[in-house]
Amino acid sequence: MRSVRLWYKKSGLAIYTSHLDMNRCFTRAVRRARIPLWYTEGFNPHPYMTFLLPLPLGQTGLREPIDLRIEGEITDEEIRARMNAALPEGLEIVDVTEPAQKANEIAAADYTITLTFDAPGEAEGFAAGAAAVMESGELNAEKRSKRGVKTVNLCTLVHRFSCAAADCTVQIAATIAAGSTVNLNAELLVQALLAAFAAQARVDITRTALLCADLTAFR
Amino acid sequence: MIPKALEPYLMQVQKPGRYTGGELNSVIKNKADVAIRYAFCFPDTYEIGMSHLGMKILYSLVNARPDAWCERVFAPWTDMEAIMRAHGIPLYAHESGDPVREFDLIGFTMQYELSYTNVLNMLDLAGLPVCAADRTALTPIVIAGGACVCNAEPMAPFFDITLPGDGEEVTNELIDLLKEYKAKGATKREFLEAAAQIKGVYVPALYDVSYNADGTVQAITPTGGAPEKVEKRNVADLDTMFAPTEFVVPFLEVVHDRTTVEIFRGCIRGCRFCQAGFLNRPLREKSPQTVEAQCRAICESTGYDEISLCSLSTSDYHGLEALLTHMLPWTVEEKINVSLPSLRIDNFPQELMEQLNAVRRSGLTFAPEAGTQRLRDVINKNITEEAVLSTAAQAFAGGWTAVKLYFMIGLPTETEADIRGIADLAQAVVDAYYHQENKPKGKSVSVSVSLASLVPKPFTPFQWEPQDRPEVLIEKQNFLISCVKTRKVSVSRHVPWTSFLEGVFARGDRRLADVIETAWRKGCHFDSWEECLDREKWMESFAECGIDPYFYTARRRSFDEVLPWDHMDYGVTKRFLIRENEKAHRAETTPSCREHCAGCGANRLNGGVCNEIRPAVV
Repeated sequence: MRSVRLWYKKSGLAIYTSHLDMNRCFTRAVRRARIPLWYTEGFNPHPYMTFLLPLPLGQTGLREPIDLRIEGEITDEEIRARMNAALPEGLEIVDVTEPAQKANEIAAADYTITLTFDAPGEAEGFAAGAAAVMESGELNAEKRSKRGVKTVNLCTLVHRFSCAAADCTVQIAATIAAGSTVNLNAELLVQALLAAFAAQARVDITRTALLCADLTAFR
Repeated sequence: MIPKALEPYLMQVQKPGRYTGGELNSVIKNKADVAIRYAFCFPDTYEIGMSHLGMKILYSLVNARPDAWCERVFAPWTDMEAIMRAHGIPLYAHESGDPVREFDLIGFTMQYELSYTNVLNMLDLAGLPVCAADRTALTPIVIAGGACVCNAEPMAPFFDITLPGDGEEVTNELIDLLKEYKAKGATKREFLEAAAQIKGVYVPALYDVSYNADGTVQAITPTGGAPEKVEKRNVADLDTMFAPTEFVVPFLEVVHDRTTVEIFRGCIRGCRFCQAGFLNRPLREKSPQTVEAQCRAICESTGYDEISLCSLSTSDYHGLEALLTHMLPWTVEEKINVSLPSLRIDNFPQELMEQLNAVRRSGLTFAPEAGTQRLRDVINKNITEEAVLSTAAQAFAGGWTAVKLYFMIGLPTETEADIRGIADLAQAVVDAYYHQENKPKGKSVSVSVSLASLVPKPFTPFQWEPQDRPEVLIEKQNFLISCVKTRKVSVSRHVPWTSFLEGVFARGDRRLADVIETAWRKGCHFDSWEECLDREKWMESFAECGIDPYFYTARRRSFDEVLPWDHMDYGVTKRFLIRENEKAHRAETTPSCREHCAGCGANRLNGGVCNEIRPAVV
């Protein structure tokens, strides 16, 4: 038995697949790909498969990790090739590695966010305003957690933030707290910024990388 | 593929995965390469439609033709419908995202009466007139199949064609004909008259219905050369019949999400309330070899880890032991769970039961249907109390602690004693648990009683019977609950208003079409969903159309009354159904077809051959 870390890309219409549905989808894909899985022992044997950090519904992910336990001889390259033949459109394995770090070492994530406004003026105004708010160090919003709803200053959960307007769109690059202890959904940050300026825009969020506490890549 | 215009709204609706398409094994073709585009519509949500085996079969069957492309269509849930209507986005097909109104054939599968308003709503959302007469061009032709079309009369004005019986052969014949008539630029009328000549094709517009002063049907008269009786299609050989080797695998969790393979059609039992048992006669079996090959192919192409062997009464399958003996070694090896729904308790070997539970243990369900032996004899459900109790005892010994019992109320000749008998039988099952010698310590038993109400259906011996009014059913439900004396027995019941509406339309005639349209225009849809069923709007609609719904449900029909579905021929003869009705009133049972041929008449559809009369297929 050995553990492997599969890095997948989730894009296109597949982003509308919820976390629970992703679980089912990958379980079937590994079966179709005939990956020699290790099964748990007990009354209801099931393969060991863990999504390290759920990707919220509606967001694109470029490099998202899943851990699998396998049994038997198969190379990483073979796993990748067979999985990609078995996965539905919008899901793709981009890399297979040995798990170097534990899931609880994930502390942040990089995002690129595109906001599309109705008019170029709106985009410019928002970009300038959003940059100023993030600079000010205070953006309060209600955040839900298992312990209930509380008001949080989102700026304390954002490590890096930059934005630029072009025509009707605003491009944001941000590094945000992520992981099992402190996590901020990028959607919440964007909606809080939009609300601060009573603005409306179409939001496309892409998580580009998961990072450790020192903001180096999670491996 | 969802239409581009709709994508920005996906995050505003519940379960956006219902609408995106792009699932594994969905079939994408180039529309320029096909002659016929077929929109297969399921008039309910994605999760329910994607659970339906018939859709999977016909989807693969049509797509196996290079000249046709079949796509799936589902009813958008109310949140999505509001967005589509607000932005003028018409009903679209799942694979291409193209508007359904551009298709040549629009097919609905009619599995339950309470989906009728959804059909009208979907046609309207597609931008099409709901009435067939207002759709004057040759295409799209709107067709329907499924159990409900054994009496399509309440929906007759909306459909161009219905297809009673098995769809595998007639679908291809209809596509061939439409392709030919489209190429030669024929009119819709010319096409429909030609289609009516195909066996198993019903064109409602070609039949005139007249009524007596008392509201009953006087006569049903064919026109335009249509046949007097429309005989249902019957596929004789299930081994050579088309069956899919791939299922579209949904992203979303759907109701039945597994490999499903039919093992036979029809039923030898003859339970008198069961429409499926009569509509699908004669019994035809698939060989174990075919079943196994189909299971394997589907598991490989989908990655499913569960197989459901599907039929009306699984343990009556001649090849069951042979099939399981062959199949279990590889399914256990591959961690695939095999489930046998509709398993009868009286004839299933214990050892097989144990092997079946090697992968994952499933629940234990019995369907005695009635509380006393007398009433079980009336409905011809030939299960004895001893059999229920001894099987339950075996199951308890094997470690089960939960049992589900299915019953019906509103059965003909039912008395208080019969209803009390339901509580008594549930109590007896509880007692069986506590009487076992090695009862596990500290564990309790739970018996769930699920209570349905009888809806008398066409082509059953009960088609002449009155249906209990909703108030009466509620009284009976309450009486049963008052008879239950232990918390180990829980009772779940249905709202009798759904059974009431179902009953009206099941045995309805063409005059009900106005009621359906009126109710739909008032906003009725998704009537099978308790949160959507609007009883007031329905009762208003009956009143506005001057129709008494109880005329269709609460009245005892006489054997010589012309029934609205008398021009449909499902093989079983009226004479046989009358005989069965009379026996029911005398509480006399009819043995299964395997013990003694009851002479139902359905073997005529198979050239005189019935599976039960020829040697067993093993």
